[in-house]
Amino acid sequence: MGYFRSLLRSFKWILASFAALIFAGNLSASDIASDFSAANRFYAQGKFPEAARAYETILQTGATSPALLFNYGNAEFKSGHLGKAIAAYQRAGQLSPRDAELRANLAFARNQVQGVTLRESRWKSWVGALTLNEGAVLTAVLFWLTFGLLIVRQLRPALIPKLKSATRIFAVLAIFSGAVLGLQAANHFSNASAVVVADNVTARSGPFDDAQSAFTARDGAELSVLSRRDDWVQVADATGKTGWLPVKQVEILPGA
Amino acid sequence: MKSNRFFFQTAAVLFMAALIFRAATADAASFTASLDRDSITLGETATMSLAFEGGKANNLPTPEVPGLRIVQSGSSQNVSIINGQMTSTVTVTYSVTPQRAGEFTIPALTADVNGQRLSTEPLKLTARKADAPSAAAVNSGSEIAFLKLTLPHEKFYSGQTVIGRVELYLRDDVQNFGNFQFTGTPAEGFSVGKMIEGQRTRTQVGNRVYTVIQLLLPLTAVKSGALTLGPFTASAVVVLPSQNQGGNPFFQMLNQGEQRQVSLATEQLAVQALPLPAENVPADFNGAIGNFSLNVTAGPTNLTVGDPITVRVQISGRGALNAVTLPDQTAWRDFKTFPPTSNVTNTDQFGFQGIKTFEQIVSPLNSDVHELPPFSFSFFNPDDGAYHTLTQPATPLLVHSAGSTPMPVIAGNKNSNAENPASPQDILPIKEDLGTLAQTGTPLIASPKFLAVQGLPVIAFLAAFIWRRRADSLANNPRLRRQRAVAQLVRDGLNDLRRLAAENKPDEFFATLFRLLQEQLGERLDCPASAITENVLDEQPALRGAQAATLAGLRELFQLCNQARYAPVRGSGELNSVAAQFEKTIGELQGVKA
Repeated sequence: MGYFRSLLRSFKWILASFAALIFAGNLSASDIASDFSAANRFYAQGKFPEAARAYETILQTGATSPALLFNYGNAEFKSGHLGKAIAAYQRAGQLSPRDAELRANLAFARNQVQGVTLRESRWKSWVGALTLNEGAVLTAVLFWLTFGLLIVRQLRPALIPKLKSATRIFAVLAIFSGAVLGLQAANHFSNASAVVVADNVTARSGPFDDAQSAFTARDGAELSVLSRRDDWVQVADATGKTGWLPVKQVEILPGA
Repeated sequence: MKSNRFFFQTAAVLFMAALIFRAATADAASFTASLDRDSITLGETATMSLAFEGGKANNLPTPEVPGLRIVQSGSSQNVSIINGQMTSTVTVTYSVTPQRAGEFTIPALTADVNGQRLSTEPLKLTARKADAPSAAAVNSGSEIAFLKLTLPHEKFYSGQTVIGRVELYLRDDVQNFGNFQFTGTPAEGFSVGKMIEGQRTRTQVGNRVYTVIQLLLPLTAVKSGALTLGPFTASAVVVLPSQNQGGNPFFQMLNQGEQRQVSLATEQLAVQALPLPAENVPADFNGAIGNFSLNVTAGPTNLTVGDPITVRVQISGRGALNAVTLPDQTAWRDFKTFPPTSNVTNTDQFGFQGIKTFEQIVSPLNSDVHELPPFSFSFFNPDDGAYHTLTQPATPLLVHSAGSTPMPVIAGNKNSNAENPASPQDILPIKEDLGTLAQTGTPLIASPKFLAVQGLPVIAFLAAFIWRRRADSLANNPRLRRQRAVAQLVRDGLNDLRRLAAENKPDEFFATLFRLLQEQLGERLDCPASAITENVLDEQPALRGAQAATLAGLRELFQLCNQARYAPVRGSGELNSVAAQFEKTIGELQGVKA
């Protein structure tokens, strides 16, 4: 009897914790939604810097969504911060790579950048049509299907002739998807890029304030990241020039 | 012949092994560090060598000195035998490039060599700035190569773009040069454009002839006042005739020349950047400097309120076209204006001359509008030091009232190519819906759990594969199949025997026992079970491998079965002991090789 009573108590406690968790989650989401609406109102009133700060505050809580980053990018763009806008659009693109409006705004913002800037190569753009997680799930599904068919063939040899074509197709698709995922992962983990978020920055030949000037870059210019050392980041521009920039002058993004 | 060859090969291998062993067990190890020079010009690279004699370093030291870029460039191993004493030296080389002028100390480096902890002496390296050669040195012809920086004027306006000229002079005995790179282009107060190589000429300087390579550099002063340009510093590798060729034409033909790294520097130039005149500044002047012409077209001119008119403004001429922006047109107050787009078509290699085309969408706000007001553009011409204003006359418009015709809205077309939307004039508006919130975290591909789960189908497949192999093997082996079937039959039969013993049914008990003996012996002897009698125990050679006790046990079981036909009824206890004996004997029989 005592055992059942303690079991019931534990069950009630688990239920209460679960409900509290769900309720807390909803509360937090509703807070974010109301802050998001407030930021949208700032934007609608033409108070773009205030809107940008409001969006940024939401992002600092760790919550993010393609729409939030999109709107943040818009607010920064309207505030004249081209680099921050491009970085926000890029981050949004990593969550929602097939959003046509997002791509249009990113292309528009990029067109406003003066001077040399890195352009995304065609293959990266193609590979980036799926998010890394989407690519991973797709590859996993094809992988499981392929092995599922192989298992069925072992268990029911009579079905082998019927499953032959399907197995081959899924195997080829799984290999192809895996290769694309490999490219995506390599790009994500090793090809970081940086967006200049300050006006007319000077890249230096070494990670020192008194090192010689290597090249200059404008707000919004996109650079590829070669390495990092303390508060400096080594970058290369589209022409292949390399130099070191203080981390605070750029926003570093992982590969798409 | 073959044995001799084998003997010599073996002897050679043993000799080499002995040498290697001797090298490996050489005397005390040493570790030294050295630089190929102790003084260097900024932009040059020195070589540091770490030599490990008598062994290899277990932990290769990585020197780090602020202001020096030290990168490992290679390693080599040298084995020498002097007076029968073999010495092995591993040398690791690093390229050392100073990032700034000054004195640097590479600290003592420590490494474990053959279990000994050894340290080097600290090394000193002085990096000095390159200086431009004196006029006397240039005229004497002693300079292999030098740089000159010249500007068309000493005074020019802030914002004006001029073409600077960097000239690389190479003496006539320089056979070739390469790896030319600027190590410093100080241009405080200037915006520096892309450098372009100009023509090559030859000229007499002093008593030597030099090849002159021009590099042209667009420079724009971004602030007014006294500015300095340079000294530009560079380094290059030149190839000079080898000093050791002598007069032998054969060696001259083979001579590859002597490579020498040279550091180059220009003189520093003082420049006066004049501020733009403060008088007579046009109201719409927005910083355009150069000499330009203007062409404006607009269309359509017959439209309704809210319809877009595309105004195309072409500004062509010479100047910093990239910096030219469209001036605000205050007279366009009756129009809603959208941000303009622009593109530049250059007609020279510096981006200094060409056409900048702006496209701006404007939309009449009411039907009282009858014209697009005159368009004006002002610029400062540094050639005559005066401001100029270009004006395009008003464009007549016929604007119809359209009631509540909506303003043109830029909307994203999800079916169009997002990279090239149809001439967008502004960014697309914000999204009202927050959408699904996401937490930034580790991608699935880097999650160990996700990767581990992907192993499950592989494991399942391997299990299915092994199962299939065993099933196929069984299907193709009737003896194995029978063996398993009989084993199962005996297992079930044993249960039956125990049950029958407990129920004290001796007739059924011994009938079952006899059948089980037949099945098991039939399987072992590969013959039909019905052909098995007690006689097979003596006749079949296959059972000779069985132990005598097993055969005796079997024989006794057969006899018990025979006696049961006429013997009195036995009790449960006795039947149970017979079942136990059967289990033991059958177990032994199953161990006999079939």
